[in-house]
Amino acid sequence: MFELRSKKSKVALQLVLLIMTIPYLIPLVQMIIGSLGGIGVLNYKAVWNTGVVPTYFRNSVIISACVILLVYLFSMTAAFGFSKLHIFGKELYFWMILVALTLPEVILLSPLFVTFQRLHMFNTLFAVILPLAALQLPFMILLARNFDDGIPNELLEAARIDGASTFQTFLNIIIPLTKPIASSIVVLTLVNSWNAYLMPLLFLQSSDMQTVTLLPQFFQGEFTNDQTKILAAAVMTAVPEIIVYIVMQKNFEKGMSAGALK
Amino acid sequence: MSTQNVRKSKFAKVSGLPWVLPAFVFVVGLIYYSIFYTFNLSTLDWNGLDPVQTKVGFSNFTKLFGDWVFWKAIKNTIVFFVVTFVIQNVLGYIFAAILHTEVKLATLHKCIVFIPVILAPATMAPVFRLLFSPQGLLQDIFNWLHIGITVDWLSKPGSALFILMIITIWNFTGMSFILYYAAMSQIDKEMLEAAHLDGAGNFRTLLSIVFPNCMGTTISLAMLGVIGALKTFDIPYLVTTGGPNHATEFLGTYIYRQGIRQAHLGYAAAISVILLVLAIGGAILMNRLNRVEGK
Repeated sequence: MFELRSKKSKVALQLVLLIMTIPYLIPLVQMIIGSLGGIGVLNYKAVWNTGVVPTYFRNSVIISACVILLVYLFSMTAAFGFSKLHIFGKELYFWMILVALTLPEVILLSPLFVTFQRLHMFNTLFAVILPLAALQLPFMILLARNFDDGIPNELLEAARIDGASTFQTFLNIIIPLTKPIASSIVVLTLVNSWNAYLMPLLFLQSSDMQTVTLLPQFFQGEFTNDQTKILAAAVMTAVPEIIVYIVMQKNFEKGMSAGALK
Repeated sequence: MSTQNVRKSKFAKVSGLPWVLPAFVFVVGLIYYSIFYTFNLSTLDWNGLDPVQTKVGFSNFTKLFGDWVFWKAIKNTIVFFVVTFVIQNVLGYIFAAILHTEVKLATLHKCIVFIPVILAPATMAPVFRLLFSPQGLLQDIFNWLHIGITVDWLSKPGSALFILMIITIWNFTGMSFILYYAAMSQIDKEMLEAAHLDGAGNFRTLLSIVFPNCMGTTISLAMLGVIGALKTFDIPYLVTTGGPNHATEFLGTYIYRQGIRQAHLGYAAAISVILLVLAIGGAILMNRLNRVEGK
């Protein structure tokens, strides 16, 4: 974007970039320095020895996997229906789903709190999976439908002439063609459900059911505010996320920016 | 025209209802159920457990409109949105412009700015509590430079909200950056060259040629920002729990405080109804803006 001719201005720009980037690094540096305070690396050992870290990770993995599966299945099928098939009053249904697009999850708090208690769903992973999936679906359906609208009808027609059923057409044409948007949907859903805090906080009470976002709280109780161990736990939570991001950098950047589609 | 219609109609005759229904029932069932339940709750005085629910009509709402904490939360949301929106997007825009120029270690810088976007606020909250405390890294840096400032901003009502805004800006600059970066890739190179040939400087080009071409992105970011500000919960809840003395209260944290902590379910539901109206109103408004821009 900048047109720079002199060596001096190139160095200056590089310097500006460095100065602007440093503040973004400070919290990460603080996290690592903080986790090495007191007994140093042994903080990590103490955290690991509590034995809860793998359990919290397992729960987060189960929740994210289920939410992704639900969101993928429902958004793909619904988008196909909305985009390509005949539905009486189609736009009304679509609009009814879209109303939920901007819904803050905190609105679901009281109703779900009371309802889950009645249905004895408290402290089950379902109590987190279902609302998380329902909250993400409207947007993902919108994304997928916009994408499906760009698939030419002629392609589907050709399949039909070859004798393919609607289901076969969906499976053999729509699914392969929608891979780009599907990868964005998976990444967005993964980040949102992995980072979810409020629903697990509210509905998962026992520590064998909780998720990685609740680890800091667990250690606050466990180590009575020993910051170093809480930060060691934070590092152990953050590192896998950063590794996954770096490995799949392009997918993440594309997926997250799909979140701003108009 | 006619052949196209015939072609279309063949597939368009297949009923899409079975394809749409599972998602529709799931979303509309869970969410509309919750919304109607919230409307109902908002007319009650109930603690969630008591078998007796007292109907109070609209008195929760009249009480709410006289509640200074509610107005404080609204004011915080507005201030929070305006400040974070402006700073985060200016920074993201500058990062995008610099990284579109040939600079060294571009990928490394890009990663550092984007990593905060994918990290959970819940994971980072303890880090920020430490960073902005007298035991944190900032205090060490000030001491080392012999600057006589005490880092106790989170415990002061005047500065706590400001710190939460810094945390949010840290969190989401990467998002603005990635979107502006993508938008700038679409800009015609020849147009930029022509501007440079006409004698327009770098800053002039960025302001009068690049920026107008990124207008769609700015509007998208505004929409994300409004919705994000209304949804704000994790950071204020975890870093300051809405305090000190409600200085960092948001609608989300107030709903949680009233509904879950103090078991005033009816009152919390009344706040939820207002939040819902604001969220849908905001979405409609942004949609309008978007259409005007599209024309």
